[in-house]
Amino acid sequence: MAAPPLAGIRVADFTWVWAGPYCTLQLGYLGAEVIRVETRGRLCVTRHMTPMADGKAGPNRSGYFNQYNQGKRSVSINLRSAEGRAVAKRLALASDVVTNNFAAGVMDRLGLGYEELRKSKPDIIMITMSGFGETGPLRDYVAYGPSQVPLSGLSALTGYKDGPPLHVGFSYGDPNGGIHGAFAVLAALYHRARTGEGQFIDLSQWEASVAMVAEGILDFEMNGREPERNGNRDPWMAPHGVFRSKDRAEKVAGRDIDMWVSIAVEDDEHWRRLAGAIGRPELAADPRFATLADRKRNEDELETIITQWTSQRHAREAEEALQKAGVAAAILSTNKDLFEDPHLAGRDFFVELEHPEVGVRRHTGPPWHMGRTPSEVKRPAPILGQDTDEVLTGVLGYTGEELEKLRAAGALH
Amino acid sequence: MSGPFASLKVVEVGAMASAPYAGKLLADLGAEVIKIEQPGQGDSARHRGPFPNNQPHPEKSGLFLYLNTNKLGVTLDIFQPQGMELLERLAADADVLIHNVAPPDMDRAGLSFERMRKNNPRLVMTSITPYGLTGPYRDRAAEELTLWSQGGLTYLNGAGPDTREIPPLKAFGQQSGYQGGIHAAVATAGALMAQLRDGEGQHIDVSVYEVCASMLELTYVYWPYGKRIASRLGSKPVQPLEALECKDGIIFLCCVEDHQWEAFVEVMGHPAWTDEPLFKGRGRRTANWDAARLFVQEWLQEQTVQDLYHKAQAKRIPFAPVSTMGDLLSSDHLKARGFFAEFSHPVAGTFKYPGALFKMSRTPWEIRRPAPTLGQHNHEVFAGRLKLSEAQITQLQEKGVI
Repeated sequence: MAAPPLAGIRVADFTWVWAGPYCTLQLGYLGAEVIRVETRGRLCVTRHMTPMADGKAGPNRSGYFNQYNQGKRSVSINLRSAEGRAVAKRLALASDVVTNNFAAGVMDRLGLGYEELRKSKPDIIMITMSGFGETGPLRDYVAYGPSQVPLSGLSALTGYKDGPPLHVGFSYGDPNGGIHGAFAVLAALYHRARTGEGQFIDLSQWEASVAMVAEGILDFEMNGREPERNGNRDPWMAPHGVFRSKDRAEKVAGRDIDMWVSIAVEDDEHWRRLAGAIGRPELAADPRFATLADRKRNEDELETIITQWTSQRHAREAEEALQKAGVAAAILSTNKDLFEDPHLAGRDFFVELEHPEVGVRRHTGPPWHMGRTPSEVKRPAPILGQDTDEVLTGVLGYTGEELEKLRAAGALH
Repeated sequence: MSGPFASLKVVEVGAMASAPYAGKLLADLGAEVIKIEQPGQGDSARHRGPFPNNQPHPEKSGLFLYLNTNKLGVTLDIFQPQGMELLERLAADADVLIHNVAPPDMDRAGLSFERMRKNNPRLVMTSITPYGLTGPYRDRAAEELTLWSQGGLTYLNGAGPDTREIPPLKAFGQQSGYQGGIHAAVATAGALMAQLRDGEGQHIDVSVYEVCASMLELTYVYWPYGKRIASRLGSKPVQPLEALECKDGIIFLCCVEDHQWEAFVEVMGHPAWTDEPLFKGRGRRTANWDAARLFVQEWLQEQTVQDLYHKAQAKRIPFAPVSTMGDLLSSDHLKARGFFAEFSHPVAGTFKYPGALFKMSRTPWEIRRPAPTLGQHNHEVFAGRLKLSEAQITQLQEKGVI
């Protein structure tokens, strides 16, 4: 088996929360050695967030942190102390890539800015993934992933017909910024491998999110109008929606689990198949529904008919019946459905490693499978600061005596 | 200066969003991308729009025009043996082949990694499919909506707590397609690093279902860590983290950390209710947010969105307005950064598009050409690249192969 693609690449990772860690998670999946710099005085907020393993709180017990920091190392460095900043700089200069998602200018203030680092290491690659980018009048503004959804225009386009703009239900700006950041770093690594040149990458999470609503931007450019929110409907497919099915018989925490099935019918042929699958073959030729234009015109009625069928069965049964007829249909998975899905397990999508504090937990792993240079997670998410001594002596060449001095001075807190 | 991928030759067999977006990411950074479309209809994104004046036209679809910048376009019917042979010849000379042909159609066309790499061991082939190339769901039918849903994302979104009868809601647009594309581009770029090292290619299998399930943030881990099902009907892990109404519109409130909440309290003029122990600290504030919200909503009725946005940001509170398309296109900040790129297409006209996804100091993003018209580069590629004679090309056209 060949070495992973980024074997031998070291990343000094100053990112936190989600966008940045999602970026370096991908680099880690591809084999880079990712060293996360943490500060005990200001822990990553995800180390504090629920769910904690078995409800017991602790900085190493957060599912969120442990999911998005798989495979990484952790060193604790106090960036408020001058000695700590000197250690951080030494780590940055011993690395190929330096990542952060602080607001604009923070790395400069820490003495870790690109211009400073490139003086000693001209081929260094640095990426900053701030909310608004390094330049422009709003460069000092801050944004979290959840606020990128309204900021990017995605909320304005997402919502029920005649209803207000809504969210998308998760901090989409974060993984989106992070994954685009990972691609940018790979492009820079490719360029460096061919030319020996490093560079600085300025990623604005806002801009990366606006790109995801290009259809809306082009609609405004072409027609001078704001697109209307239209629930789950689609201008070119009908039926196209999320339909109520029977609630699950099981209960979780005393509550029924509401279940739904999504259905998307791409053309008249698939409509005919759906009509057959729900035992109403006569609907295919019914003038109310025969063509896309007919179905769009009578969509309320159409959805009522579909709901009559879906609401009498469990979502899985509806999914299976429609898939058997070649119609795109899928349950709305819950986290439990994904956890238990035999398809995902069969494809080795999950990573289950022994973590010293929380034991074995089923995490999601790399979302791709490479034939020759497999992506694998070699270690679980790190205990806070667990690799400090090893990295400082092994990678950075500090002596044991120097290490003790730094620790006594509070530089490694 | 040229893009970091200027040395690369890429072949894309893509329709709609996922493979075309991956192809665009490489093309916009310099790669030569030859996009292959079915003769006649072409990429299905050509038929989706948005269109000028709502008039469908295969050369005027906003989605297609955005996703296919910087590419050469040829038509080729890969479901005819001669078409597949030509694809094989294009792949023999390429660094990368990206496609989103679904597994049953791959079988029907005879598209496989073994075949594509036969004359080119350095080929990186990236297959983006709904459920992956293996496993029980391999051959299932899928669309944007059903993948976002099965991947666990639709279940998380809707009208909010206590709206059990209102269906969960998908995000606007082609989000699972875009994410399939960018995640595949990351894996592809990784394989290109390995290719640079030892000259060998490989096959990458990307499942859009898995990509969606990778983005569930803390909601996925609620099961393995707490045996809880995360739902749109449940409470948020921290509050405020929601959109509320001001005098003139909606603002998104976001206080993830305590210091942000404390700063917001100052912006509100430190009203007495905020000193109630009920609202002190992240945990209690979140648990009692239904009560706190009433006070906040009352105060917001006297505020304007833009004024509060800038006031909050001055104190480093990450509030955000709900941007419209018009707001984005006229944003001074995005203008100052040159984010939108304006360029002309010979049939569709001149529009502004979202531009560079990130700014690289040495290898900038650039538009070298707009999206191709259907079959625009047939001659350049089939005569120029594959050295087919005029007679051969005419014959292939007559058979509908190109």
